[in-house]
Amino acid sequence: MASKSTKVKKTINWIPWLLVLAILAIVVGRIIYLGTVHDRFSSAYFIRAFLESLKLGSLYALIALGYTMVYGIIRLINFAHGEVFMVGAFFTYYLFSFSPYPLYAAVIWSIFIAFGFMKIIELWRGKLKDPVVLASGAFAFVLATYLLSQTTVNFFVALVFSMLLTGVLGIVIDKIAYSPLRTAPRNSLLITAIAVSFFWQNFGLLVFTNRQTPFRPDTFLRNRMVFAVGDGTVRTTMLSFAIPLISVILVVILTLFVTRTRLGKAMRASAQDAEVAQMMGISVNKVIATTFLLGSMLAAAGGAMWGLNFGSLNQPAIMGILPGIKAFAAAVIGGIGSLPGAVIGALIIGFMENFMTAIFPKTAEFQGITEFKDTFAFILLIIVLLIRPSGIVGEDLSEKV
Amino acid sequence: MQDTKHIVQPNRNRNILLTIFATVLVAVALLILTSLGSVKLGSALALFAIWGIATVSLNLVNGTLGILSLGHHGFMLIGGYTTALLILSDDKREKILASGRSSMTPFTVGLSIDNFFNAIGLTAFTTDETLWLRFLVAILLGGLMASVVGLIVGIPSLRLRGDYLAIVTFGFGEIIRLTASTRIFSPITNGALGFSGVPTEFGKSVWWTFAFLGITIYVISKLKYSSFGRAMEGIREDEIASEAMGVNLAYHKVLGFVVSSFFAGIAGGLWVSWLGGARLDSFLFTLTFFFLVALSVGGTGSITGVLLGTALVVFVRQYGDPLEQSYLITTWILAIGVILLLTALAIYIFRTIRRSRPKIIPAFYLFLIAGVATVVLALLAPSLGIMQGEFRGFGMRAIFLSILLIIIMVFRPDGMVGRAEFNWAWVFRERLDQPTEEERKQDAWLSNPELNRPGGAANTSDVEED
Amino acid sequence: MAMLEISNLNKSFGGLQAMTDVSFNVNEGEIISVIGPNGAGKTTLFNLITGVYTPDSGDVRFQGQSLVGKKPSQIVDMGIARTFQNLRLFTNLSIMDNILIPQHHKLKSNWLQAILRTPAYKKEEEEMRKFALEKLSFFGPRLMSFRLYQPVLVLSYANRRRSEIARAMATGAKLLLLDEPSAGMNPKETIEMTKIIKRMRDEGGYTILLVEHKMNLVGEISDRVVVLDYGKKLAEGDYKDVVNNPEVIEAYLGKKATDDDKAKKDGGLE
Repeated sequence: MASKSTKVKKTINWIPWLLVLAILAIVVGRIIYLGTVHDRFSSAYFIRAFLESLKLGSLYALIALGYTMVYGIIRLINFAHGEVFMVGAFFTYYLFSFSPYPLYAAVIWSIFIAFGFMKIIELWRGKLKDPVVLASGAFAFVLATYLLSQTTVNFFVALVFSMLLTGVLGIVIDKIAYSPLRTAPRNSLLITAIAVSFFWQNFGLLVFTNRQTPFRPDTFLRNRMVFAVGDGTVRTTMLSFAIPLISVILVVILTLFVTRTRLGKAMRASAQDAEVAQMMGISVNKVIATTFLLGSMLAAAGGAMWGLNFGSLNQPAIMGILPGIKAFAAAVIGGIGSLPGAVIGALIIGFMENFMTAIFPKTAEFQGITEFKDTFAFILLIIVLLIRPSGIVGEDLSEKV
Repeated sequence: MQDTKHIVQPNRNRNILLTIFATVLVAVALLILTSLGSVKLGSALALFAIWGIATVSLNLVNGTLGILSLGHHGFMLIGGYTTALLILSDDKREKILASGRSSMTPFTVGLSIDNFFNAIGLTAFTTDETLWLRFLVAILLGGLMASVVGLIVGIPSLRLRGDYLAIVTFGFGEIIRLTASTRIFSPITNGALGFSGVPTEFGKSVWWTFAFLGITIYVISKLKYSSFGRAMEGIREDEIASEAMGVNLAYHKVLGFVVSSFFAGIAGGLWVSWLGGARLDSFLFTLTFFFLVALSVGGTGSITGVLLGTALVVFVRQYGDPLEQSYLITTWILAIGVILLLTALAIYIFRTIRRSRPKIIPAFYLFLIAGVATVVLALLAPSLGIMQGEFRGFGMRAIFLSILLIIIMVFRPDGMVGRAEFNWAWVFRERLDQPTEEERKQDAWLSNPELNRPGGAANTSDVEED
Repeated sequence: MAMLEISNLNKSFGGLQAMTDVSFNVNEGEIISVIGPNGAGKTTLFNLITGVYTPDSGDVRFQGQSLVGKKPSQIVDMGIARTFQNLRLFTNLSIMDNILIPQHHKLKSNWLQAILRTPAYKKEEEEMRKFALEKLSFFGPRLMSFRLYQPVLVLSYANRRRSEIARAMATGAKLLLLDEPSAGMNPKETIEMTKIIKRMRDEGGYTILLVEHKMNLVGEISDRVVVLDYGKKLAEGDYKDVVNNPEVIEAYLGKKATDDDKAKKDGGLE
């Protein structure tokens, strides 16, 4: 009996690995096949597709991290995260561009931002009526109004400020809409998140613009790059390398923060069990605020880079929806609640969307799969949820009896 | 040993009579309202009925089954496009065939109930006078089509729980819309162009739409208050416990989902008829969002509440356009100031009613000062020469609805009426859950520790035989 | 033939062996208690029997049919119902609904008949209500009359426990698995619960398998006691024999128990 009880069964599940191998085989086979069909499909074509996919995947990763962090801590699908991404992009735009931002709109934003800033300081000072809190609120109000309505700064400075402002906005969303519902049923919370998302979409129409906005900052990142590969040349921009690089830097900083700092460790503890973490003396409020701050900052960075990449911003009502929901799909595919999972999932979605359409291009006899590329994320999401709800690297979150 | 009131619904015949009477009353009210001749009112009423069908059916899943389904617009799309294609008017079909931009083939353009009836020899039913019959067939086929898709979507995805399921339904809703625009389906959907020319005499007709609404309410309320509905409510309350009590989870979830998507398809059919055409951007997620607002504001789990919520949403949509027009910027700022002052007033009244201490909280002063400042600013601005120009309130209605939803969720998560349902027992104050005088006495005796000793009457089975 | 045969049941979660080679039988009309320290695997045993978990190996047979691989709802159909340690009533629904839901699996009408309210369905519904009242009357008047229509959330804790047992009975099961039926009850209510469980066997004809910590309840009603510790069966038999079994005492008290401690614990167990 003793021998039986100590026996630990180790079975390796081969199916996923076989699946990965099969997909790789299809991709490689397809590349080789296409190479023989037409000159157009040279190695340069595939390298360009690879770079594009990597770029898109990194963009999704920046958004997906916000979803996964928030879900990890308060078990909420933050539907409004796509809109935070949109707001971040527009903040960046109004910070670097020469087009003036109306004062009244800047004031409205600044009220939100000042409120969020006061909430942050309040976490450390204890109460809202504290003079330091009030002073910092006033300071944030003036600074945000000035930044948004008056200045025109370098793109990178704009990016940093936009990340800060959007991060604070994330906290505002949590404080106003989500925090009163901490103990409410999960469905109520989700419906609230959807409402917040709709609010920002239409609010964006009101205070930003209702049309497409060109997004062409004067920065070296947009410089063209041409290099020869084999018998062809790859034409691309610095962005193909800069976006993945910036994403990697931000993800590394985030990972270091989560694993090395006190607050980061508190975050991980709260993700395991918020109640117990609170009993152990961790201020869950601080943790939640930090989560929203970091997630929204990354989303803002993603938004700015999204604009750089595509050269324009869609109108606010629709800009955030698809990237947001695809990034969410990425977070679930990777395993929601896990940071590396979000990055892996995002890269998978990026490659699915871009590389797959590249290796199944439009030819004379075949229409290509470009029109379906928006559905890939959903289909993959559904498949992953059905066969492995915990995602690729995630843990099982099912209810215990 | 027991009186029958616990076994058979009391006053059943009276209730049936009253229901018939109330239905007639509603019909008379509609007759009066339509005879006023206002086109806007008529279409608002019809829209209320159509969206009512959609919300009541969505509520079967969201409120009764407790699954957050976000793909209702997808099922409406299926039903809507099926109905639209089958009932499309002949001149429009010819136009589509003649047009170079159309992606429909002669075969799909020819898919109609007209042609089907002609083919099987029922030419008598292809006249203009019998259009209603073809519409009826088309809309039922639309509903069936939607329920088939509901079945296909439901069987795999309903194994999931909670928010994952919400996302998967959302995903399916979007997939349906995105694939409908692709080349594979554009022979049927005509791509992003869609098609107009769907007869509007049904979707805009108060009688047709309210008849369908009546049927929907009848079927869904009967389902909800049957044994099946109870099982579904059990699933909402506790999945694990209901499975442990013998409820087949998958079957009941799929049942609820399929019935819900059937009526979503019906609503979709009426919706294309109301719009007069089928276009993909009439079936955006916004539609499901409106239904969610209606559900949550009215009260999840209550058909009455859902209809109240729908009335509100339809009112905002149909009569809220003044909100989205262009006004002077100072007018807008004045409006914001007034809202702030009203909020301050609401806080004050709320705390007075609740008799909370302190009666006046900092938030009150905050809103008061901000409100006064904004109003003063708005009034002074013209003379100071700042903030000139006009401003158009794009998306104000959606903003209003989303703020309303957030407020309701924060302050009253169960909605306006909660789970309460309008029924005759409620009208006549017949509360079965309140003790009668006699029962109250017995209860007091039971809970009296002096009398209620171990081995006393309350702990034996003798008392129940009275 | 035994009503429920559990043979060589094994279950592990990851590396943790939660259940090792447990076997025992439950005969018809018996009350069997499963006792053991916290984490001994009692609730896991219930979850294995009712199909919440699937055993790694071993078999559970009910009236000759294997339960392994069946869904919880199918197992209820076969005639086994359970209650939960941490009450899982349908809290927003009335008591009546709570007792009607477990009867739903016996319904013969289909959903279309239910919507149309055919006479056959109406008759079944009436019968379900009668049956519900019959089962509730087991607990005296405290769950009857106006309380039938009150939501469970207004009930006292003891009344919720009673409702849960009534709910399990309403499934029409022959074998009831009660997971700590007297948890959270005061001594008076525990005595009443003891009586009710006895009456359930004697008058209702139920076979009962229960998990319990309150030894006086266990001692009073059990025909046999099964002791689990770390997922293994330590002892099985008459209550008196089992509680005096040195291995059992060791499991409860720890290894280096002196005779003095044993004597005290014996008293405590009594």
